[in-house]
Amino acid sequence: MRPRGRDPAPRPRLAALTVIAAAITAGISCAPITGPRDPSDPWERMNRGTFRFNEGLDRWVVAPVAKGMDFVLPDPVERSLAKFFENSKIPIHFGNALLQFKPVSAVEDLARFVVNTSIGLAGFFDPASHLGLEAHQEDFGQTLGVWGIPAGPYLVLPVFGPSNPRDSVGLAVDSFSTVYPWFIPLYASFSIGVGQRLNWRSLNLDGIAAEREAALDYYVAVRNAYLSYRENLVRDQKEDETDDEDLYYLD
Amino acid sequence: MTKTSITSTERRPQGLLRLLRTATVVLVALASGFAAPGARAMTESEAGARAVISETVDEVLAVLRDKSVPTEERIRALEQIVYGRFDLYVMSRLVLARNWKRFSEEQKEEYVKEFKQYLTNSYGNRIERYDQQEVEIIGEREEPRGDVVIQTKILGGEFEGALVDYRLRKQDAGWRVIDVVIEGISMVSNYRDQFKSIVSTGGPELLLQKLKEKNAAGMVLDETSAKSQPGNSDL
Repeated sequence: MRPRGRDPAPRPRLAALTVIAAAITAGISCAPITGPRDPSDPWERMNRGTFRFNEGLDRWVVAPVAKGMDFVLPDPVERSLAKFFENSKIPIHFGNALLQFKPVSAVEDLARFVVNTSIGLAGFFDPASHLGLEAHQEDFGQTLGVWGIPAGPYLVLPVFGPSNPRDSVGLAVDSFSTVYPWFIPLYASFSIGVGQRLNWRSLNLDGIAAEREAALDYYVAVRNAYLSYRENLVRDQKEDETDDEDLYYLD
Repeated sequence: MTKTSITSTERRPQGLLRLLRTATVVLVALASGFAAPGARAMTESEAGARAVISETVDEVLAVLRDKSVPTEERIRALEQIVYGRFDLYVMSRLVLARNWKRFSEEQKEEYVKEFKQYLTNSYGNRIERYDQQEVEIIGEREEPRGDVVIQTKILGGEFEGALVDYRLRKQDAGWRVIDVVIEGISMVSNYRDQFKSIVSTGGPELLLQKLKEKNAAGMVLDETSAKSQPGNSDL
């Protein structure tokens, strides 16, 4: 079973990404910096620029479309769609669970995929969870982390948002290994990606608005959340989480 | 830990499905057997902290469920419940960390007050979004220096399955929450990073000024968002 169009499929996406990245870095060289550099974010100046671009994209394009979607589709439908997208990614999670030497997670993922794709009607429903099969969202960025590869500095990607060099590689590898580009035309797989993103945005309209509204420095709030969240995912199997001395004791 | 519990409303799984389920249950049981050799009894500290969280969750959910009470009143009720079990002074200090010393006594007092108001504004507005979620306590862990972390999970609604940890510290008055960690994202750490960047740019004055601005704007927003439809407040 040789996948058709495996080679050419994701390439235009990467090419587009590079062009956008170049355009933005050229455009934001006058971005302001506030405060001294955080050790986790040596590229803050560039990142703030990209972040501002992403925020603009969200404000003028993504959020309005997502709002339209939210208006048209009832929430249960959107949640069902989210389940469908999530289910279609399980093969990737399965592969990454194996690469991270987590056989139990891999078997659970596989079982989830079989159950939800069949009884769950292509993944729009999630009977697997009712059977006690838990989801494990292992991606290649985490796999690299488990293998001991450092994350590198915080990096905001145009369009894709918060990341770091390790997770960027992970994102690229995972999108190469998605099932869609092998079996369906590029425009269809691209639409699925966009659809998933819009659906997610539509489900999070209020939440993101509240975060934006509440933060004193939204850029820093997002950076901290991303770094903590990813670190937490990578170390999920490790029991001893006692490295927060600095956080909870001031002496 | 309750992977094996199947509710009676479910239809009996057939053939392959049953096999899969059995296989998973066995694997999960094996895996947890390796991970946790022998069930460990809860320590006294863990039991004490757990009781505080369990009470707080019950009281908060009771307020959230009763939608007949006006929003403003429910926010006040939640403040009473939550701030009674949170050590805001410790939290405020941990958030400022080393910068705490840069604040004068009056500034410290002002900051603790403004930070409290800021938390109320940030989270109070969200109570309209409550949608019949439940909270399950899934574990507890005593940290080396005596703090206790209570692990909970949200059931139902848009945050189904989200993990929320509460870190508690023993004070004279009892166990008090000093941090809330949602999916690995610590409130204290998140505010610390934000405030650090502000204090290092403009000192304590700038942080106090920004908090006051936010709080003033937040209260105006409170009134408008109570009147408008949920979802209209975006952007």
